[in-house]
Amino acid sequence: MKNGLALFFGVFAALALSWAGLLLTAHRQIGSLSQFKDPADETLHPQPMSGLASQGRLVYQDLGCVTCHTQQVRREGFGSDLARKWGQRGSYARDYIRDETVLLGSSRTGPDLRNAGNTELRAYADAGYFYQLLYAPASVAPGSLMPAHAFLFDVHPVAGRQPSALALKLPSKFSPGPGLEVVPTARAQALVAYLQSLKDTYDYPIERSRNAPAAKPKEGGH
Amino acid sequence: MNSTPDNGRTEQMEIDASAKWPVLFIFAHALAWLIVGGALELASVIQLHTPAFLATCEWFTHGRLAPAAQNALVYGWGFNAAFAFGLWLMARLSATTLRHGGWLFVAAKFWNVGVFLGVAGILAGYSTSFELLEMPRFVTFLLLAAYAIIGVWCVTTFSIRNTENVFASQWYLFGAAFWFPWLYAVAQLMLFRAPGRGVLQPVVHTWYVHGLYGLWFVPVALAAAYYLLPKILGKPISNYYLAPLAFWWLAIATAFAGGSRLIGAPVPVWIPTLGTVANFMLVVPVVLIGLNLFGTLAGRYASLSGSVTLRFVLVSMLAFVFASVLNFAFSLRGFAETAQFTLLSGLRDWLIFYACFSTAMFGAAYFIMPRLTGQEWRSPALVKIHLGTTVLGVGLLTVGLAWAGWHQGRLLNDPALAFTDVSKAMVPWFTFRTGGLALLLLGHAAFLVNFALIAYPFNLSGTTPAQINPPPDLSLSKGPALEVLKA
Amino acid sequence: MSAEPDKNFRLEQACASDDSIQQVHAQLQKTKPEKKEGYPLLPLGILGLMCTVVFFGSIYLAHNSIRFDPLVFSEEASREKPGALKIVPLTRAQLGKKTYDMTCIACHQATGLGVPGQYPPLVGSEWVLGSEERIVRIVLHGLNGPITVEGKEYNNVMAPLGGALKDEQIANAISYVRASWGNNAPEVTPETVAKVRAETAGRNTYWTAAELEQAGK
Repeated sequence: MKNGLALFFGVFAALALSWAGLLLTAHRQIGSLSQFKDPADETLHPQPMSGLASQGRLVYQDLGCVTCHTQQVRREGFGSDLARKWGQRGSYARDYIRDETVLLGSSRTGPDLRNAGNTELRAYADAGYFYQLLYAPASVAPGSLMPAHAFLFDVHPVAGRQPSALALKLPSKFSPGPGLEVVPTARAQALVAYLQSLKDTYDYPIERSRNAPAAKPKEGGH
Repeated sequence: MNSTPDNGRTEQMEIDASAKWPVLFIFAHALAWLIVGGALELASVIQLHTPAFLATCEWFTHGRLAPAAQNALVYGWGFNAAFAFGLWLMARLSATTLRHGGWLFVAAKFWNVGVFLGVAGILAGYSTSFELLEMPRFVTFLLLAAYAIIGVWCVTTFSIRNTENVFASQWYLFGAAFWFPWLYAVAQLMLFRAPGRGVLQPVVHTWYVHGLYGLWFVPVALAAAYYLLPKILGKPISNYYLAPLAFWWLAIATAFAGGSRLIGAPVPVWIPTLGTVANFMLVVPVVLIGLNLFGTLAGRYASLSGSVTLRFVLVSMLAFVFASVLNFAFSLRGFAETAQFTLLSGLRDWLIFYACFSTAMFGAAYFIMPRLTGQEWRSPALVKIHLGTTVLGVGLLTVGLAWAGWHQGRLLNDPALAFTDVSKAMVPWFTFRTGGLALLLLGHAAFLVNFALIAYPFNLSGTTPAQINPPPDLSLSKGPALEVLKA
Repeated sequence: MSAEPDKNFRLEQACASDDSIQQVHAQLQKTKPEKKEGYPLLPLGILGLMCTVVFFGSIYLAHNSIRFDPLVFSEEASREKPGALKIVPLTRAQLGKKTYDMTCIACHQATGLGVPGQYPPLVGSEWVLGSEERIVRIVLHGLNGPITVEGKEYNNVMAPLGGALKDEQIANAISYVRASWGNNAPEVTPETVAKVRAETAGRNTYWTAAELEQAGK
C-alpha cells in the first residue's frame, strides 16, 4: 500500500462503515423511541422524574457512583438479577428514554441500582435507609465495601434547639456522639430522592410479548 | 533509495536530532503521568478492600478517584507515550526530519494541560460518568486542538516521505492517527453536544471505548512490534504478504466489535450480536499477526537474553494474543453471563492497555532513548528491576485477576449469596490486586529514575556515550548468514 | 547484534537499517516466499479459517438478531414476525377505573376504603358484592340516611349519578369496584343497568337502606 490517498480512504471507510452500520442504524431504530400510553388509564410511561430527583442524578454522576454500580437488570434466564430482587423484569430500552444521561454502568462492585427505589421489591428501602447507607454503610450493610459519604452530611451539636426533622437515626456505634445530630445536606436529599425514584414497575405489553422466549426449541442443529 | 551506510547514518542522526527534544519532552510528561496516574490508581484500588481509606475527603471518594486514575493513565501516560513513539517512528520510516518541532512542544503542553484540567475536574466532581470520557466537557476542544497539531505532524511527515515504500508500522500509525480524533469527536458529539436518546448513549459509548483500545492503542503497539522485531533481529517479518490483509480486517472488525460489551443490556439484540460476530472475525487478523510476529521470532528466542526491548515486545505480543482470546470469550453469551461486570471485564481492557501497549512502549523507549540522547542507559540494575517487576506483575495479575473475576462472577450469579458475602469473598483478591499494582509501580519508578539519568544533562562521571553501530542492510535470506554480522 | 549478548542492557544495537527494512518488506509484500516443504498449506489454511469464521459468523448473526427488531433485547425471543398487532380488548373492570377516578374517588377514595365515619368503604362491602341490581339502583338514584356497611354505621348522602353517567360508564365503574382491592365479584353489564333504569324510571328521590332491603334481590 504505497498510495497515501488510498490508505486514507481505506482508513476512513473502515470507521465510516461502522459508524453508519452500527450507530446510524441504531439511531434510526431507537433514537426516537417514545413513551408508551397505557390503554386503560391513558398515562404515559416511563414517567418523568421529579425535579429533586433530577438534581440527585447530577449528584450521582458527580460522585461517580456509576464506577461501582450498574443500572441494568438482566432478563430472566441470563444471570440471577431477578432472583436477587434487583428488578421485577429485565430492563427495556424504553425505560431509559427519559434519562438525560444513561448510567448503565459496567462494573458490579456494588449491587445493581435500577430498582433501588422499588419498595415492592425491597420494603426496607425508604429514605432513612438510604441516608444511613450513605453516611455509614456498615450500619445497614455490614461487610459492605461501599465507602462512607459522610461529607454529604452536616454533623453539628443540637445545642438546645429543636432537633432537625431530617436528622438520621443511627445506631449508637455509628452515631457521632451525644448532643450531636447528623443532618443530610441538600445534595444528600437530592441524591436520595433520585435513588428513591429508581423503579421500573411498568410492564410494557409490546416489549413483553416480543421478548417472550420462543415457544418451541430452535430447529436444526447449529 | 540505496544509500551507503555513511549517508544512511547521517540521515538517521539528523532525523534523531530533529526528533530529540520534542520526543523527550513528550515522553517526560508521559512518565510523569505514569507515576501520578499509577499512584492514584493504587490509592483507588486500596479503597476497594479498605473502604475507609481517603473516604473522608470528597475529592478522593472512590467514585471520583478511580475514573481520575484511569483517565490520567490512559490520556496522560498512554497518549503521550504513543505520541512520542509515533512521531519518532514516522519520522524514521519516512526518512525525513521532524520539521518545526517547536509546534510539537506547544501541542504537548496543551494536551497535558487539558489532561490535567480533566483529571482535576473529575476529582472536583465534574465527571460525565462515561468511562474514559469522564473528563469534563471544557477540555474537549483543548485535547482535540492539541491532537490536531500532533496528528497533522504525523500525517505530514508521512506525506513528505522520502521513501518509496511504506512499511506495516506506518499503516498502523497512519490509521491510528485518524481513527482516534474521529472516534473522540463523534463520541463527544453524540453523547454530550447532541445527546442521543436513551440507550443509544451506551451504544455510542461502547463503540468509542472499543475503538480507543482496538484502533488506537493496539495499532501503536503493533507498529512497535512490526518495527522492532526486524530491526533488532535482522530478520524480515515472516509471511509479510499477509500483513495488509491483517491490517484491514483488524480495522473493520474492531470498529464493529463495540457492541459485544453490551451483551444482556437493554439494547436491540442485533447490536451485541453484531459485536460478537465482529469479535469472531477478529480471530483472522489475530492469527495473521501472530504468524507475522511469532514467525519472525521463531528460532531466535536466544536473542531475547541480550535484548530488553525484545523481551518487552514479547510480553506485548503474548498479551495481544491473550487479550484477543479474552475478547473473543467475552462475546460468547455463556461466558459473558458470568464474567460481565466483574474483574474479568476490567482485565480485558487492562491487558490491552498495559500488558500489550505499555510494555511495547517500554521496549521501544529502551531502544530509542540512547539514540536520541547519545548516551547509554546508566543503570542496568534499574533496567532489570523494571523488566522483572513488569513481567512478574503482568503474569501474576493476569492469572490472578482472571481467576478472581471468574470467581466473582460465579458468586454474583448465585442468588442465595447475599451481596455483602460476595464483597467479603472478594476482599483478598482486591488486596492481591493492590500488591500487583504496587509491584508494577515500583518498576515504573525504576524506569523514571533511569530515564531522568539518561535524558537530563547531569554532569556525572560514568556516563558512556552510546556507540551506535551503523546497522547493516536487511537481506531476504534468513538464517546463519546473520551470525556473520558483527557489532 | 553482538556475538555475545550484552546482559547489561545499556544499549540495543540495531541489526537492520530502516531503508532496507522498507525495501525488503515491499518486495516481500509483492512476492510470496518460496515454497518449502509443507509451506503451501499456510495460505490454504488461512483461507479455510477465513471462510469458517465468515460462515459461522453469518449463521450466528442470522439466528441471534431477531429480525433486527428495535424492541427485542433477548436473543431467546421468537424469530417469527410479530404479525398484526392484536387489539386485546380491555375488560370492563379496566375501563371502569377511568370513570371511578373521575367520579367516585372523591368520597370512596382511591383505595376504596372510604373515610371512616363519613363515607363507607367499598372493599369487602356486602352492598358491593351482593345483588347487582341493588348496587345499580344506588348509583342511579343515590342514597340517603343511615346504612350499615360491614358492621359500621354511616349516615350520609350519595348523589344520584343516573343523569350524569351513561349505562356503559355505570356498568364499567361497578365492575371495577367489584374486581379491585381484593373484591372478586362478576362484572355488571350495561344491559342490567338499562333494565334497572327502566324499572325505576319514575323515581326521583334518594333510596334509603330500608327501602333497598325491602326491594330484596
